Amino acid sequence: MDPNQPPVENYANPKTCLFHVLFKGAALAFYILSALFFNSFVIIFVVTVLLAALDFWVVKNVSGRILVGLRWWNEINDLGESVWKFESLDQESLARMNKKDSWLFWWTLYLAAAAWLVLGIFSLIRFQADYLLVVGVCLSLNVANIIGFTKCKKDAKKQFQQFASQTIASRFQSTVQSAFTLV
Amino acid sequence: MSHNDTIPLYQSSQSDIDEIENMMNGGGFQSGPGTVLPARPPSPTRPSIPVSSSSSPFVQSNLPPPPPSSSSSASQKVTPVPAPPSLPPSVNFGSSEGSKTTGFGSPPNTLTEPVWDTVKRDLCRIVSNLKLVVFPNPNREDPGKALRDWDLWGPFFFIVFLGLTLSWSASVKKSEVFAVAFALLAAGAVILTLNVLLLGGHIIFFQSLSLLGYCLFPLDVGAVICMLKDNVILKMIVVTVTLAWSSWAAYPFMSAAVNPRRKALALYPVFLMYVSVGFLIIAID
Repeated sequence: MDPNQPPVENYANPKTCLFHVLFKGAALAFYILSALFFNSFVIIFVVTVLLAALDFWVVKNVSGRILVGLRWWNEINDLGESVWKFESLDQESLARMNKKDSWLFWWTLYLAAAAWLVLGIFSLIRFQADYLLVVGVCLSLNVANIIGFTKCKKDAKKQFQQFASQTIASRFQSTVQSAFTLV
Repeated sequence: MSHNDTIPLYQSSQSDIDEIENMMNGGGFQSGPGTVLPARPPSPTRPSIPVSSSSSPFVQSNLPPPPPSSSSSASQKVTPVPAPPSLPPSVNFGSSEGSKTTGFGSPPNTLTEPVWDTVKRDLCRIVSNLKLVVFPNPNREDPGKALRDWDLWGPFFFIVFLGLTLSWSASVKKSEVFAVAFALLAAGAVILTLNVLLLGGHIIFFQSLSLLGYCLFPLDVGAVICMLKDNVILKMIVVTVTLAWSSWAAYPFMSAAVNPRRKALALYPVFLMYVSVGFLIIAID
């Protein structure tokens, strides 16, 4: 970090940002560079998919919460139906989130998915079905996170609008009621 | 002062009006349902399974011991009792101003919990799912409830482990063995789930994937034993036993999901898949 910069521009959670980028980068780097070192497909597959799965977990459970205050998951309710739940911090906390953090979060998410897509096209051109499998798994994990968080963000906006209108309505109601009780 | 409006306006009797006047005169503290307001929701690091987004259950748990902070505790004992139903709106209102870490109606304790809690929660979930599916337990009669908290981590580990074990046991073509095992198991699980859905069964996609993955655990054990001991007879016995165990584990969930007349149609492919994995284990040398 540049010490001459005013503190508000720095990352608020550098460790979390690091982990957020670390596993994505490691998975991509390992996949690309491994052809130079390893002959065995098994090791490439297992390590890449493991790193991608760890990245998925970190993004979903840790950096999503800390960097942008969003969370999504799936539950099965008592009727046996699957329900997707989206959760977000309240609007004040969301507004106070570090802009740099959230910029990093969203852009690395999109870039990683784009990178896997490009790698998938390469392996398609080369007719390597097993590498396509690896790329397919990693891409689907990334896309799942993107979709989940985008839905969560939209849901948070909708909830805030509902909450705001509800607050205005209840304030109005309470002032009217107090006016009547004092009469 | 405006908290009086959150008390349900039942038939006003003289005692109620006295109460209200007591509260209005009773000092600066926010009274009425506000006796519970100071009792803030528990600290954010509560490591609980995310509750569904009904309104603030964590507030309700603070209600029973109302702090006797004022002298007129006798009159105030009456208020907390009718207050609960009307409490959530006012407390949410207050708590969102007060603590910056609460969110909307649903308790966002999972949003602010430390990372280690999340890890522990997920690991516990894997273990409990495994126990529910593979070992005998009373919940098997109600399959819908058993895998309520599905997760795909367990199946992922089991499939990769099985692939690795098979690949390790193979003396030639290790990569192909692994790729074939992984693709067979993953695609097989997806196809089996689609089969149940197309037969008109009621099962949730991820729940079924999770179930079929967890049922691979016995075959994992069998594969490890076969890897350590190379005797053909022993392999066949071990594989048969673990195969039966896997099928027994998967049976109640799959059969409950479909129409009873189509049970065999749903169960036969599952059995077939496990048999083919079993053959793969035996045939590897």
